[in-house]
Amino acid sequence: MFAPITLEILVLALGFILLLAESFSNSTSKRSLAKIAIFCLGWVFALSFFVESAPSNPEPGSFWNFYSADPVSMVFKRIALLTTMAVLVMALEYEAVLAKNIPSSRTGAGTGEFFILPLFTCTGLMLLASAVDLVMAFAALELVTISFYVMVAYMRGSHASLEAGVKYLILGALSTGFFVYGITWIFGLTGETHFAKIAVKLAALQDSDTAILFALVLVLVGLGFKVAAVPFQSWVPDVYQGAPTPVTAFLSVGSKAAGFLLLLRVLEPFLGVAALSNKILLVLTVLAGATLIFGNLAALPQNNLKRLLAYSSVGHAGYLLMAIACIGVAPSALGSVGSTVGFYLFAYLLMTLLSFLILTIATQHTKGEEIHHFNGLSRRSPFLAFGLLVAMSSLAGVPLTAGFYGKFLVFAQAVNAHQWTLLALATVTVGAGFYFYLRVVAAMYWAEPTDTSPIHVSGLSKLVIALLVTGIFVFGVNPKPVLAALQSSPAPLAATAH
Amino acid sequence: METNLPWIILLSPLASAVLILLFAHRSKPLSVALSLAAVFAAFVSTLLLVKAGTVVQTAATWVDLGPALHLTIGLKVDALTRVMLLVVAGIGALVHVYSTVYMAEDAGKSRFFGALSLFMFSMLGIVLADNLAMMFIFWELVGVSSFLLIGHWFTKESAAKAANKAFLTNRIGDFGLMSGILLVWAATGSVDFGGIQQNLGKLTADPSLLTLAGLCLFCGAVGKSAQVPLHVWLPDAMEGPTPVSALIHAATMVAAGVYMLARIFFILEPSPVALAVIAGIGATTAVLAALMATQQDDIKRILAYSTLSQLGLMVAGVGVGAWGASMFHLFTHAFFKALLFLGSGAVIHALHHEQDIWKMGGLRKTMPKTFLTFAIGTLALTGAPYLAGFFSKDAILLAAWHKNMLVFGAALFTSLLTAFYMTRLVVVAFLGEARTPAAKHGHDCPAAMTVPLLILAVLSVIAGYEFFAGSIFGAELFHSVHAAEHVNLVPMLAVGVFLLGTGAAWALYAGRVKDPVRIPLFGNRFYIDEMYAALIAGTQDLLASFSGWFDHFILDGVLVRGLSGLTWGVGYTLRLLQIGNLQGYAFLFGAGVVALFYLLIK
Repeated sequence: MFAPITLEILVLALGFILLLAESFSNSTSKRSLAKIAIFCLGWVFALSFFVESAPSNPEPGSFWNFYSADPVSMVFKRIALLTTMAVLVMALEYEAVLAKNIPSSRTGAGTGEFFILPLFTCTGLMLLASAVDLVMAFAALELVTISFYVMVAYMRGSHASLEAGVKYLILGALSTGFFVYGITWIFGLTGETHFAKIAVKLAALQDSDTAILFALVLVLVGLGFKVAAVPFQSWVPDVYQGAPTPVTAFLSVGSKAAGFLLLLRVLEPFLGVAALSNKILLVLTVLAGATLIFGNLAALPQNNLKRLLAYSSVGHAGYLLMAIACIGVAPSALGSVGSTVGFYLFAYLLMTLLSFLILTIATQHTKGEEIHHFNGLSRRSPFLAFGLLVAMSSLAGVPLTAGFYGKFLVFAQAVNAHQWTLLALATVTVGAGFYFYLRVVAAMYWAEPTDTSPIHVSGLSKLVIALLVTGIFVFGVNPKPVLAALQSSPAPLAATAH
Repeated sequence: METNLPWIILLSPLASAVLILLFAHRSKPLSVALSLAAVFAAFVSTLLLVKAGTVVQTAATWVDLGPALHLTIGLKVDALTRVMLLVVAGIGALVHVYSTVYMAEDAGKSRFFGALSLFMFSMLGIVLADNLAMMFIFWELVGVSSFLLIGHWFTKESAAKAANKAFLTNRIGDFGLMSGILLVWAATGSVDFGGIQQNLGKLTADPSLLTLAGLCLFCGAVGKSAQVPLHVWLPDAMEGPTPVSALIHAATMVAAGVYMLARIFFILEPSPVALAVIAGIGATTAVLAALMATQQDDIKRILAYSTLSQLGLMVAGVGVGAWGASMFHLFTHAFFKALLFLGSGAVIHALHHEQDIWKMGGLRKTMPKTFLTFAIGTLALTGAPYLAGFFSKDAILLAAWHKNMLVFGAALFTSLLTAFYMTRLVVVAFLGEARTPAAKHGHDCPAAMTVPLLILAVLSVIAGYEFFAGSIFGAELFHSVHAAEHVNLVPMLAVGVFLLGTGAAWALYAGRVKDPVRIPLFGNRFYIDEMYAALIAGTQDLLASFSGWFDHFILDGVLVRGLSGLTWGVGYTLRLLQIGNLQGYAFLFGAGVVALFYLLIK
């Protein structure tokens, strides 16, 4: 047994060691870097089951005032580790494209960091999962974001990648500014940065409703950018399309999960202010509705699969916000809003990583990302086509997939909270979702291919695809294990530790 | 150990099906080996379970939505289950062995064994399920695997059509079954048998609801057990390979309806109306199907109508309250009907796919083993004294005698007809002189085919005796089989009609080369198929023209075009927001911030 922070330190150290190793190595192929990273992350994942739990009453001034290690945050840490491993597998598949788009004198030069940077993002995500203090949360979030700035613009030779990088950097900096400003307002109002203490102080404040709401808006803007909520979503389609595909996948999973986790944490103290909770729920409802409509309806005319997935990412943010807009209601038989958001994120992660992994592999053979490039994929590679079929079905919400159960939980929360307007909207958008997701399936299975040469898939990718497909079905039929892990409160674990 | 046995029984065929259909289908011997291993694992586990004699219930929660809906995955093993398990796994094992030779030359052998394993899994699932929801799932899976096996030779148009017909006809019954399950669930708040039994009071409080629920559940049995008016699919299902006919369409799947009725009898019992309807439909099916069987020329079709008629008897038995007697008849019938089908398969195999009995003749000399076993099966089916069918039919007749004279009369008449058409079949096909060169060169089949015949023949003789059936049924259940008071007249009448039917057929058909009797009404199955075709075509035309209009103008014109146009319009407009220009995005961002401030603070 050892301290939970060891996990983050290990990942960080791994990143540094690999960076050094890369600069002193003569090898032209950087693939071994990614393989070592995947292997080591696997060990860290295994170690995560043997850490001590956090003390229930930390001493004032100790590290535990910034950092907690309750079972839920451990779940998110493990998710971050698995996601990073999947992204690295994708990065291996993407190496050829990467090398083509990086001007260099020697083959393979300049590609090494691409396999190492995800480790720093991973560290940020893991720290964020444990952060119970605004300063800690902000530092972790920025570690995630800054490593993304580099990765999005990584392909120096590609205009699209550079353009995406600039857009992401400028708009991201803007949103970060709002977020920090919000934190200063909260600190100004309460004199605290620890979430629990902020909650106590906020609830006790008199006659400062406007100031509290002002702080909330600033924080919402900052986090709205991260989770791609309308109207702060405008960067999403361009950045997703321009960035290297593995980075897009990481961005849509990691950035979103981080944003929603923080949103849940930050909202909690504000909802404690009884007089304001109605107003807060109203604004969350408006954000959710707008995000649902934009994400799903604007996806209808898209012909580029990567761009389609970008809009889909906005659409799923809409369903997640819909769950968050039910946050004031007591937990139903199906669990709290927190566990619903957690499960939805988990399901979203499985199907998004699956789609992007297949996209990465297939586009190198189809010579394009337009939907018509996927015509007849089922005949070129039945395995890839089936994988994408499962991913699309789950994204659309076909029963017995994890995506369906996530949507089911969200809808159940909305019914519980009497969010009828959002429910009506979501019904329409789910219908629209079926149209644009299944268009891809129709192209793969019913259209004639222009090229019939079979597509070879490497063993590692096959394994990851098979695992993701299995996960989508297993957790779609039996979601219990994930829900149970998300619902467990910190108390029982602390009790058993003694 | 005993708690694990039911899971082994259920899951080994599933494992085999998955392995064959996903991985092993390229290697025929491997597929066959997997399938055989699975079915024998299930059979051996069943035997151990019978010896153990325990009642096991293992449950895991599947869906838990509070008190409203709590679905469990649970298996229930009681006397009733054990009888059915033994029939399914036992005959399943014999049919698997038989099929290794029968399907030896078939190109789709792996697919056949994969589907056979899938069927075993689904059928055992129905038998083991401890709640209606699970039973329904397996009920549908049985339908799917039956579809796959009937349509095994899918390039043949008639086989593909028969598979569709079976599936679609069953859908009608399944819809009723589903409605019944929902009604029971709505009334009692439970779908597992124990829970329903506990809360039965809530259902019986409303007699009309009870009757409705009972009849809806019965609809499922009407479909699966091919009762009038949904009987039309079973004769066509004979397009499937003969081992499939023996296993699925004679011994097990079609009996699932009767098993289900026995399982839920406690729901049916308080409703006299439901029971009367069940008895009526069963008796009607028994008589109509027996009449149709007297004028068929295809050896498998005769057996198919005979199956229909016997299933009718079993359903009628449930209708008169004697579900124990019905289960007993199901048990004995499974052996001799499987024997007859496998015997006919041997004939068809030896005669290079000749199925017309008028093109056979004289097989007694060329296929002596097949003839011997087929004759035993026939005697058992027709109710010759001291063979299996005699005892079980007697139990149903007795129960009907005490309860309902009309049903008794129908059952007795059915027995007469059964003796008649089966004797006709044997006399024409096996006795006399060979009428075609193929029949002249008939021969007994390899041991893998004749050994199952011999085993089944032995079972057809002994299955009715207490030392055999009693040990499988268990004392309690076997006692309920013979609950009705004994009346000497009933077995005497039964033997009388057996002699009469056999004698009449012998007199009429011995030495004939052509059918001396032509009753087109029977031969053409009372024109029921034609009536359905006309009815469906007529209604369809009318409905089609109406829905065509409705679809074109209302749905397409107003709803779809309008809605999709609106959605697309919104989508296109929203897309225009993505101008791709960074300053524009920053402006939108700022506008969003202002909007949020306005909304919250004003």
